[in-house]
Amino acid sequence: MQPKWMTSIEEIVGQRHVLTQPEALATYAQDGYTLSREVPLAVILPGSTSEVQAVMKVLSRHGVPVVARGAGTSLSGGAIPVAGSVVLHFSRMRQIHHIDWENRLVEVDPGVVNQDISRAVASEGFFYAPDPSSQRVCTIGGNFAENSGGPHCLKYGVTVNHIVMADIVLANGNLRRLGNSTADPDGPDWLGLLIGSEGTLGIATRLWLRITQRPIDSTTVLALFDHIDEASYAVSEIIAAGIIPAAMEMMDGLTISAVERGAYPVGYPTDLAAVLLIELDGEPGLTEHETQETLHRLALRQVRQVVKAQNATETNLWWANRKTAFGAMGLISPRYYVQDGVIPRHVLPDALKTIRTISQDYGIRIANVFHAGDGNLHPLLLYDNHDKSEVERVKQAGSDILDYCISRGGSITGEHGIGLEKISEMASQFNRQELAAQRAIKDAFDPTQLLNPGKLLPMPGRCIDYAN
Amino acid sequence: MNVDQCVHCGLCLTACPTYEATGLEMESPRGRLVLLNNWAANANFQSRDAAQWLDDCLDCRACESACPSNIPTGHLVEEWRSTVPLGTANRRLLLGLSQAVGSPRGLKRLQRLIRIGQNPLGRWALSKLGSLLSIATGDVLDGLPPSILPGLSRESLTTNMPNADTMMFVGCIMDAVYNQSNEHTAALLRLAGHTVTVPSNQVCCGALHRHGGDPATTRRLAKANIKAYEATGAQQVVVNAAGCGTTLKEYPTLFESGSEWHFRAISFSRAVRDVIQTLAERPLAQLTQQSTTITVHDACHHTAQNLNQSTRALLERAGFSIREMPNSTRCCGSAGVYNLTHPSMGRTLAQQKVSDIPPETQIVAAANPGCILQIQAGTRHYGRNTVTVRHPIDLAYDAYRAAGYLGGVADAT
Ligand SMILES: Cc1cc2nc3c(=O)[nH]c(=O)nc-3n(C[C@H](O)[C@H](O)[C@H](O)COP(=O)(O)OP(=O)(O)OC[C@H]3O[C@@H](n4cnc5c(N)ncnc54)[C@H](O)[C@@H]3O)c2cc1C
Ligand code: SF4
Ligand code: SF4
Repeated sequence: MQPKWMTSIEEIVGQRHVLTQPEALATYAQDGYTLSREVPLAVILPGSTSEVQAVMKVLSRHGVPVVARGAGTSLSGGAIPVAGSVVLHFSRMRQIHHIDWENRLVEVDPGVVNQDISRAVASEGFFYAPDPSSQRVCTIGGNFAENSGGPHCLKYGVTVNHIVMADIVLANGNLRRLGNSTADPDGPDWLGLLIGSEGTLGIATRLWLRITQRPIDSTTVLALFDHIDEASYAVSEIIAAGIIPAAMEMMDGLTISAVERGAYPVGYPTDLAAVLLIELDGEPGLTEHETQETLHRLALRQVRQVVKAQNATETNLWWANRKTAFGAMGLISPRYYVQDGVIPRHVLPDALKTIRTISQDYGIRIANVFHAGDGNLHPLLLYDNHDKSEVERVKQAGSDILDYCISRGGSITGEHGIGLEKISEMASQFNRQELAAQRAIKDAFDPTQLLNPGKLLPMPGRCIDYAN
Repeated sequence: MNVDQCVHCGLCLTACPTYEATGLEMESPRGRLVLLNNWAANANFQSRDAAQWLDDCLDCRACESACPSNIPTGHLVEEWRSTVPLGTANRRLLLGLSQAVGSPRGLKRLQRLIRIGQNPLGRWALSKLGSLLSIATGDVLDGLPPSILPGLSRESLTTNMPNADTMMFVGCIMDAVYNQSNEHTAALLRLAGHTVTVPSNQVCCGALHRHGGDPATTRRLAKANIKAYEATGAQQVVVNAAGCGTTLKEYPTLFESGSEWHFRAISFSRAVRDVIQTLAERPLAQLTQQSTTITVHDACHHTAQNLNQSTRALLERAGFSIREMPNSTRCCGSAGVYNLTHPSMGRTLAQQKVSDIPPETQIVAAANPGCILQIQAGTRHYGRNTVTVRHPIDLAYDAYRAAGYLGGVADAT
């Protein structure tokens, strides 16, 4: 028999927008993180803010936990349901409501796809700056929850720098408008607190985003290396020279071998140790100067070859190749587990050496692709999901990499979030008081623990264990 | 390649027209792979619902170009179709149709039926025939060209010309409904300097049968076509329907690797060219620019064959200015006879496509008979009555004829 709350929800959103068939629910058991899965009780597809409010009122009355879902590309299990929860899938709420050219703001639904915003404003020479590699599918709601970054965030900043206002439905179904579209908000920055909270404090149902004028001039450079350390040193030296590229990305040999077999091969030599993809943009004169300076810095290192893109087609291909690097892992391994640790830029060579050692110690292959400019590593740990021992070794190796990041004064996540995946590392990153403060915020927003439970924050009992 | 190789990254989601239309994970490539996995692993998951979500796949292969891991979801669903019984109403309809297109006699009967459907009285009679079939066919009949010449194009075109360099593949729907386009194709090929032969023993490519889960019939048709081609001694087989083109190029996958037929299918598939490709390799003269602006819908199977640039090049050489529509590569919902078997999803996709046609454009070029029919019907249902949808070859033919290349101007005076 169907529980009463489900009938109430069917009345709110319409029966065909509530999924309960086991075959359907099975497709919602995972997101981009494949080391865990759980089937929800139901999937609800709301059509408006007021429907979300009404749904939350029913769920909170009956104590049913909720996990919001955009495109399900989270790499930390953020959108994976917990047992006994329902999924709120935002695929029906995907309208761009208004473009305010004068104030450079766009008002959107949470289910709008990141790239569609840049497309919608391209005609007037604008773009939406945060560009996760998953941008052609991931949603603004997911970006909001994960405070997502992307290659171009080195210069333009991450999601929190580009959302100015949001409508938030709280756990009890109440609606709050946070932030301010015209000026800095008065009082504490509530919106800033909500961005990056992984759907644990409130659900975004409408967002106002800042759009950015496209730079007049832009140059893209590829530098091919025979030694990965040389590429790492080049990164530090370019930044030390006072240049802030729009993007600076690195891929190692194993990653290159995968993307070259994928949908967008660039034609990299097969024996490369690393490639740096650097984009410089801004005013014409300045970009030219920075490009010369960058080329000069690269030439001081042992670089095999440096190539400048000749046209947009070439630039687009280089980026498409880079942006499909995670997905292309399927071509060289049954599964991958991506880490997201951050380290200070200058320890990059040491970090790569450590990852190499961990790879050897555990006997697993690790491919490296990362936002080199801001020290955000993405080691991709390759494994076979049918090999139980390998799955365990991969988890352990991932944990070792994060411990290393913390020991060097870095962080366990740059942009993919804590989710389910890194919850146990939270206690290594934060001390007891810091965790208690975060827990207090959570309790204030969501006293009955309905919003994305089991994510981001370790459970109170466990956090003490970890802290000890 | 198997289902298990999907790394669950989701990068295929927005490429998939059925996900875009429904917003449901089960109607996405990633979701379909989960359904396929569970279908194979557990009988409890072999439900009608699961079958429907899988069967909703258009086989448009947009996901395959989007997937960084090269997972052939469309193909995997097609393989699944051939393993499940043809039980549902949808599939029975498919079976009937594929019988009709399988032989010239069946085709003629179909043509007669369609021509009846073009006059109001005949249409009324057809609508009495049966529920699903008549609603769906009613929708599609609206997309037919205003007049269809009686007879199949192969009858007027057939030459068993010895030493011709090009065998023209006339198809089934192209042969019966768009028979004029076939004549135009032959004319342009000759204008480009090819000698053309049209053997009368060629048959339907077998795409419908394959998509409908009947690869045995496709195999039989493939053998007939391969034999017909081998007998001509031509260097290339030219086809003007995007969907037939991919099927012909994929003939080798029908036969066991290493077998004699596999070998013959490989030589055949290497000879297959879309007419757009042939005309790109040996381009026609550049005409002066006309004032007519057109837009291009990229048939899924054209995209899969990487022909979208060449299509534009052909039309621009013929003097047209192109105003691009957004999402030109998104499936229009025709997908073989998908619009007949899945009328509701077919309509949603047609409506999306029509709303993408730029407001000031009156002509849409589409290189596949199914797309032409579907989008033309869509323009009539969704408020763009004045738009006509035409094969790029027909547009080019008219332009070259008007410019005097095909004896057109001389004829007229
Ligand atoms: C191939 C690939 C490349 C990637 N590259 C990057 C990258 O370069 N940079 C980067 O930062 N990330 C990257 N990611 C991770 C992921 O794409 C981002 O975290 C993205 O923001 C998730 O968006 P989504 O729509 O898929 O959200 P989901 O995965 O569906 O959800 C993510 C989280 O957001 C919550 N959520 C969703 N909608 C709402 C809402 N309306 N209100 C409140 N909470 C909500 C969910 O509950 C969940 O906790 C990548 C992922 C993949 C698979
Ligand atoms: S073939 Fe087309 S309809 Fe089928 S899953 Fe792929 S993109 Fe979707
Ligand atoms: S893009 Fe490919 S690997 Fe990624 S989810 Fe889709 S089918 Fe799977």
